[in-house]
Amino acid sequence: MSEKSSENKMSLERIQQIREFSLIGFIVILSIFVQFRNSNFLTMSNIDDLLTNTAILSILAVGMMMVIITRGIDLSIGANLALSGMLTSMLVARYPGLHPIAALLLGTLIGLISGSIIGLLVAKFKILPIIATLGMMNVFRGVTFLISGGKWVSAYQMSDSFKAISTGSIFGINNLILIAVIIYIVFYYFINYTRTGRKIYAVGSSPDSAKVSGIDVTKITWMVYSIMGSLAGLSGVLWVSKFASAQSNTAAGYELNVIAACVIGGISIAGGEGKVTGLISGVLLYGILENALPMINVSPFWQNAIQGAVILIAVIVSALIKRRIGSSNKIRRED
Amino acid sequence: MGNNFDNEVALNREIRAEKEFNLKDFFFQWEWLLLLIFIAIHIMNAQLSPYYLNTYTLLDATMTFLDKAFIALSMTFVIIFGDIDISVGSTVALSSVIMAVLYNAGLSMPLAIGVCLLVGITAGFINGILIVKFKELSAVIITLSTMILYRGIAYIILEDQASGGFPMWFNFLGWGYIKTLIPFILIVFVVAAVIFYLLLHKTTFGRKVYAIGNNDVASLFSGVKVDKMKIIVFTLNGFMAALAALFLTSKMGSTRPNIASGYELDVIAMVVLGGVSTSGGKGKMIGVLLSIFIIGFLRYGLGLVNVPSQVILIIIGALLIFSVMVSNLLYGNKSD
Amino acid sequence: MSKYILELKNITKTFPGVKALDNVNFQLKAGEIHALMGENGAGKSTFIKVITGVHQPNGGEIYLNGEKINIKNPNDSKDLGIAAIYQHATSYPHLSVTENIFMGHEKIDSSTKRILWEDMHKAAEKHLQELGAEFDPRRRMSTLSVAQQQIVEIAKAISTNAEIIIMDEPTASLTKTESEDLYRITEKLQKIGTSIIFISHRFEDMYRLADRVTVLRDSQYIGTWGVNEVSNKDLIKAMVGREINQLFPKTEKEIGQEIMRVENLNRKGFFKDISFSLKEGEILAITGLVGAGRTELCESLFGLAEYDSGKIYFENQEVKINEVRDAMKLGIGYLPEDRQEQGLILDWELDKNITLTALDKISKNGWINRKKEKSIAKKLAEKVNVKARSIFDLAKQLSGGNQQKVVVAKLLTSDLKVIILDEPTKGVDVGAKSQIFEIMSDLAAQGYAIIMVSSEMPEVLGMGDRILVMRNGEITAKMNVEEADQEKILEAAMKEKK
Repeated sequence: MSEKSSENKMSLERIQQIREFSLIGFIVILSIFVQFRNSNFLTMSNIDDLLTNTAILSILAVGMMMVIITRGIDLSIGANLALSGMLTSMLVARYPGLHPIAALLLGTLIGLISGSIIGLLVAKFKILPIIATLGMMNVFRGVTFLISGGKWVSAYQMSDSFKAISTGSIFGINNLILIAVIIYIVFYYFINYTRTGRKIYAVGSSPDSAKVSGIDVTKITWMVYSIMGSLAGLSGVLWVSKFASAQSNTAAGYELNVIAACVIGGISIAGGEGKVTGLISGVLLYGILENALPMINVSPFWQNAIQGAVILIAVIVSALIKRRIGSSNKIRRED
Repeated sequence: MGNNFDNEVALNREIRAEKEFNLKDFFFQWEWLLLLIFIAIHIMNAQLSPYYLNTYTLLDATMTFLDKAFIALSMTFVIIFGDIDISVGSTVALSSVIMAVLYNAGLSMPLAIGVCLLVGITAGFINGILIVKFKELSAVIITLSTMILYRGIAYIILEDQASGGFPMWFNFLGWGYIKTLIPFILIVFVVAAVIFYLLLHKTTFGRKVYAIGNNDVASLFSGVKVDKMKIIVFTLNGFMAALAALFLTSKMGSTRPNIASGYELDVIAMVVLGGVSTSGGKGKMIGVLLSIFIIGFLRYGLGLVNVPSQVILIIIGALLIFSVMVSNLLYGNKSD
Repeated sequence: MSKYILELKNITKTFPGVKALDNVNFQLKAGEIHALMGENGAGKSTFIKVITGVHQPNGGEIYLNGEKINIKNPNDSKDLGIAAIYQHATSYPHLSVTENIFMGHEKIDSSTKRILWEDMHKAAEKHLQELGAEFDPRRRMSTLSVAQQQIVEIAKAISTNAEIIIMDEPTASLTKTESEDLYRITEKLQKIGTSIIFISHRFEDMYRLADRVTVLRDSQYIGTWGVNEVSNKDLIKAMVGREINQLFPKTEKEIGQEIMRVENLNRKGFFKDISFSLKEGEILAITGLVGAGRTELCESLFGLAEYDSGKIYFENQEVKINEVRDAMKLGIGYLPEDRQEQGLILDWELDKNITLTALDKISKNGWINRKKEKSIAKKLAEKVNVKARSIFDLAKQLSGGNQQKVVVAKLLTSDLKVIILDEPTKGVDVGAKSQIFEIMSDLAAQGYAIIMVSSEMPEVLGMGDRILVMRNGEITAKMNVEEADQEKILEAAMKEKK
């Protein structure tokens, strides 16, 4: 019995590892292929570009990962990002002396408020995440339009220090990358080494068990959407700083990219599982795809379809892998 | 054997089979609330515009929203399952774009229309098959990916171009009147609504839909072909999206890949406000019909006083959340 | 110091419209194993949830070591040293064993609050070893067997230093050997001074373990006895509220002609080379250990899962059963294991529930004839003697036994010839059990052929006319009930087939 069991565990862990290795393998092969077609791909400047461009996606993905682990989904983050980006940049346009750090904090705060409204709806009022976030997505977009009067905030209205948030660098590393790395370290620690972090997994793995063992499911769910909102708010500031413009349709549909990255990274849509290491490879693969496709002359109009196909394939493949594990478990039990 | 129970006298006690009329149950129905809102909207609209309350305006107003209302009819079935389909807007775009491109490539319009409907059916069928084959994935994630995929294909086909130039008679779908008074689309919609009402409430098909939405395992054990039903309903939803595409394209005169974006919000809002529970198994067609006209006339009324469409989005979004919230509070929620 | 470690006085708990506990009293002595018994719906689960703080009582008092306490939430009870192992394993399937044990009270570094994984794995390993279990605590919970998961739950209770452990029907889904292991562990816990409340339907469990037993019935406290002072009969009477004379009522009946024959049926990975025949009026009991392939065989006979090869003859004609409809058309009915979840739509009225299996009969070209539906439903509900006011009562408003009858009524809508019952008495209390057996005997007497899957030896021997024993997907013995006894069956269920 015990011997068989350890065998069982081996195969499970091995499949997890195979998953991550094959993802990394795929990244390598893809890179070589692209490099072959366009020798500019694996240059320092392009890699720096790639990472900079992927930074915001990766920040949002951390939040989305926690939401998905609790069996939820958040379609409102693109709109949330636009709202906080717009508000912050309007403020920067009026008070050019605003310190960049203050701008970042402000954006995060706006995102936090938006996110906590969603958390309230999902956790307290038991509205399905898909419905709540679909509804609030439109509310956020509408509000962004209202406060901006439909007008843009453009580069010339933004102070240099504000734009430097995303263009500046410390020790030669772009600020965006740096911020993303810090966030990954913080959240890696949070979800692996703190009690609250582990409760996120508990809630996603079995909400009923969590309830009877005294975990405040409402609070954890609320927290997760609030964190997601804060990260979206932060990303909003980074986004408008990077593109030096804020519009009411900023990042429309960007939530889908984020969800795609999570799904590729092995975050299970059924909840309860997902690792930061997997997420990183998912985000990287997605970033490379986005960067590489134009470099090998794939029309930008293909982007949507490729994105949809990638999500679909990723969820189907992971479902098939799980079935394999499930059936091998079952056969063992029958022995 | 088998039916020999029939011959046996085993009546120990009588079980009543006549329903008593219960006044409280009768009035404690979501539909009454909707009717009140419906009336309130008309009063509001009449205050906003003196020209509102006349037959022409009211009938004309229906032309502005009935295209998506077609999808709400079939979406009702999807949501009663406890599922959701957020790919409908993209299905509209894909079937519309393919129709336009084929027509402009020389296909006759009736054939192009046929292809349009076929594309919708195929898109819905693919959703259904995937949902049935991969039960461990939710309809949310599957239709989310096909939502991106279908619109993506529309973009591949037409890029950022528009395509139109349809024959004159095609305009009739969206703009035509019967006896110069009743919009053609309204007539088609009424017919469709009656069919869907009967299908849901009077046939075994509808009964099975409710059964699956309440308890799919028990349905399976009772001999209901759950998988087949799901495929049919999702395919139907795709077909209705293509039907909506016909009317919408006719109304617009031309199509683009970004046509009907955000439709899923309106459609789901119509269904959910109509009292169909997102946890499945509950809801009536009458409620959905009322809510279609509530949302439609609300949009129209706000448009009359030049409220920007983004603000209308806020209202629809809030309405969606509010109605789920109220129904959760009133009727409780399965998950609790 | 009080005589009792835990004492509950006059506990009342009402939910909207229902009184779940009515003035219930309970006393737990330090270091005893106290059995809590009662029928389904007697209030046992609510009672447990009051002790663990999941529910707050509307009235009454709780004393711990003589001190009045107030348990507001599950964390309070945990802090007071009370732990519960619930009926449906309350584990986190995606997480490791270690984490399941320590969820909510992880070992953390006192200054940085960092979770100390290595310490936890070591501690988990130690707890598991104490319980005689030898699996790696790093394993995922979902890879463990039910019995192993239960051991993890117990380890969790130990890790919180619980003085009182409540076990809610822990043996319900365990095999014989696994139950023995559990008894051993429970006694070990008692030896180290833990007080245990043990809830079970099985008298076996109670006699084997408990010192005293408390019975609840209809949300009320009936009494407490020393296990050795009370007779089986009195206990049943206390639980059911009436006397049950005959648990296995076998009526006179004639066994008729062969109705169904199965030859060399195979489904890869589940069962192979299954052959048997079934006659009108006969009860064929299929037994064996859990996982022997019995349920899977029945699923294939009812079209829930396709078989790979082999032949099925029905009334001497070869037939194919690919889906549920095929089986129903032939006249095969299936009474699922979990009546509530698999048999009924609880939010629906009785009439709609009953006719769900017979939609063809109440409709023409797909149009439902409500009048016909109501009359069929009424007739069948009365036939199986459902206690209800009208056919518009919701299924969830009925008692468990009556729900059971509605599921049977559903089967009777079609011209049934064969009825398959999967573990008809699993999780069912004595009262309902005797009702089920009565219905079964009735049906057999009327000429229905019955296939009964069961792991319970007494009911296999008590109800079956013929017995099939399965092991590892194969039939290892066929016998008539007259020539069968417990040893023969057990031997066939366990033996290695050469």
